[in-house]
Amino acid sequence: MATEQLVVAPLLVALVTAILTLVVHQYTRVQQVVSGLGGIAYLGAVAMLVQRVRSGAGSHGVEGVLTYQLSDWGAPFGIALVADDLSAFMLALTAVVSLVALAFSMRYIDEAGQRVSYHPLYHFMLVGVTGSFLTGDIFNLFVWFEVMLMSSYVLVVFYSGPRHTKAALQYVVLNLVGSALMLLAIGGLYSTTGTLNMADMARRLADPASFGITLAPVLGLSAVLFVVFALKAGIVPFQWWVPAAYRAAPAPVSAMLAGVVKKVGIYAIIRLYFTVFANAAPMDLSLPGLAGESTLAFFGPVLFIMGAASIVLGGVAAVNRDDIDNLLAYSSIGQVGFIVIGLAFAAGGVVAGWQAPDPYGSVAVLGLAAALVYSLNHALAKAALFLASGAVYESVGTIEFDELGGLAGRMPLLSTGFFVAALSLVGVPPLLGFFGKFLVFDAAVNAGSNLGIGVALLGAILTIAYVTRAWNRGFWGERTEAVEQATPQYGLFATVLVLAVVALAVGVAFDPVVDAAIDAAEAALGTDSYIEAVGLEDSLTGGDGGGH
Amino acid sequence: MTEFVLALVLGLLFALGTFLVLRRDVVRVVWGVSIISQAANVYLVTMGLLDGAVPVLDGHGEGAGAVTDPLVQALVLTAIVIGFGTTAFALVLTYRVYEEHGTIDLLELGGETDGN
Repeated sequence: MATEQLVVAPLLVALVTAILTLVVHQYTRVQQVVSGLGGIAYLGAVAMLVQRVRSGAGSHGVEGVLTYQLSDWGAPFGIALVADDLSAFMLALTAVVSLVALAFSMRYIDEAGQRVSYHPLYHFMLVGVTGSFLTGDIFNLFVWFEVMLMSSYVLVVFYSGPRHTKAALQYVVLNLVGSALMLLAIGGLYSTTGTLNMADMARRLADPASFGITLAPVLGLSAVLFVVFALKAGIVPFQWWVPAAYRAAPAPVSAMLAGVVKKVGIYAIIRLYFTVFANAAPMDLSLPGLAGESTLAFFGPVLFIMGAASIVLGGVAAVNRDDIDNLLAYSSIGQVGFIVIGLAFAAGGVVAGWQAPDPYGSVAVLGLAAALVYSLNHALAKAALFLASGAVYESVGTIEFDELGGLAGRMPLLSTGFFVAALSLVGVPPLLGFFGKFLVFDAAVNAGSNLGIGVALLGAILTIAYVTRAWNRGFWGERTEAVEQATPQYGLFATVLVLAVVALAVGVAFDPVVDAAIDAAEAALGTDSYIEAVGLEDSLTGGDGGGH
Repeated sequence: MTEFVLALVLGLLFALGTFLVLRRDVVRVVWGVSIISQAANVYLVTMGLLDGAVPVLDGHGEGAGAVTDPLVQALVLTAIVIGFGTTAFALVLTYRVYEEHGTIDLLELGGETDGN
């Protein structure tokens, strides 16, 4: 039992920290200590949960999937929290990035700013992210999204200058419309499938006839829901809010938004479309240009087009930016594209008939693993780069390329961190980014998609182009006056270095990471064990199925 | 008949909300968003009222007469609370935008955030 309760631990730690920091907010020092300890405790809780999941502990006789039924209401009546390899992977990524970004904020956000509820907001955002990764109920997913978004709204407008209020307004209105859309999709799915529990939904979709479900509306509603997730992940054509919001937010918050919050959208896509909807029984899709009978046959091409468009648009736009933050924000769009085309190859693999569990053997597992490794790489590298940009701003007072130059000689420590993270983004071995790119190419080859290889190549070249440009203009060349007079902030540089070292370390010791990614990919595709672990088999069999 | 009326009301609410979201005045945009989210709530209730399941009574409520689905009401309650919070925030943000820019006209604010 204690094992199962571990599933709520990260959630509780983040929530308690958020509340405690709110209670002691008058004492800045105490608040910082509480917040820092909370961040460390969160990492600890996640580590324990990950270790437990990885070691094969599980609920209802299923290895590696832990389920916690809130208030002991068995699924599908209560809300189930489910931690499997996929959730564990995402949580681990979150814990590392959030702790480093938190350490960065301690020095970066000025004292007055920290007193204005920075820490509680940060931890509430973490609560929302954690909840989204753990929940096994789609309405609950909506609630966690809102928790996460509410805090991120305030964090985006944190400086509340003219630029920030305008960016936040855009971000808020967009997400409010997104939330309404999500409610519509969820309501529709509830009405057609008769359940909100993801495992239960997957089970019902596999056998639509006995539950009285017609699949065509489910496909349509899942497409509506997809828009919301694509919006959260900032995939083309839902990317336009990204640059403004990332530039307005304080650097550590941008690091979190790009590194972690975007991944919530990716996670939701993987969880719902690969675990739940992929399980749907075959149906006749008579849509123009689409031949296939699985739900994923529809989402495969959609994912591919959106991913490819993101890579090209993000990459091209990033090349010609005039400050570091802007460049990083556009690069974020491009990098998420790589993750999404990984998912597209995986969707194609599922259509072709996925067979468990031969690592590397199946395109679906490979595509998902590629997407996950790439997510991890993007989280570490992009967070490091955003923090580096913040550190440059704090030291030099500007991040405009025109006023920068020669940072490499002036601040070697920071430049090393930036350089390593940038190389990881480009994909130079032995950094993690190399394996991420390698797996994407491998998945493309295995999926037999020449177009996919071409797009990924183009994306890789664009990445090199904008990273080189950032390096040349900001870090090499002649020192400008601003750089000469800069006061280096070594405390900030250290956090950038930490993330760079982590990206290097997981690249060098890649075996456990790829194992974890493949296990996570298999967990995402292993619908049956997911259903079984949630305990639906023994709590509700037969019944009227709640159908029509 | 009820279905028809509800469908009509929903359609009108969404139309009104969309119309307001497309206005230049930020306050109207916020109103529009808030109306859209209320419309989504009504839609949620509709999903249970007309043809939904009765999950909680499933196997427990023998002998109970016709019931509407209680779950959607719980969902709507949650959605309303969240909607409240977000609308309040959006209004405060609107005021803040007014303070910073001296206008809440979206055309004067401009679409891009590069200015200022």
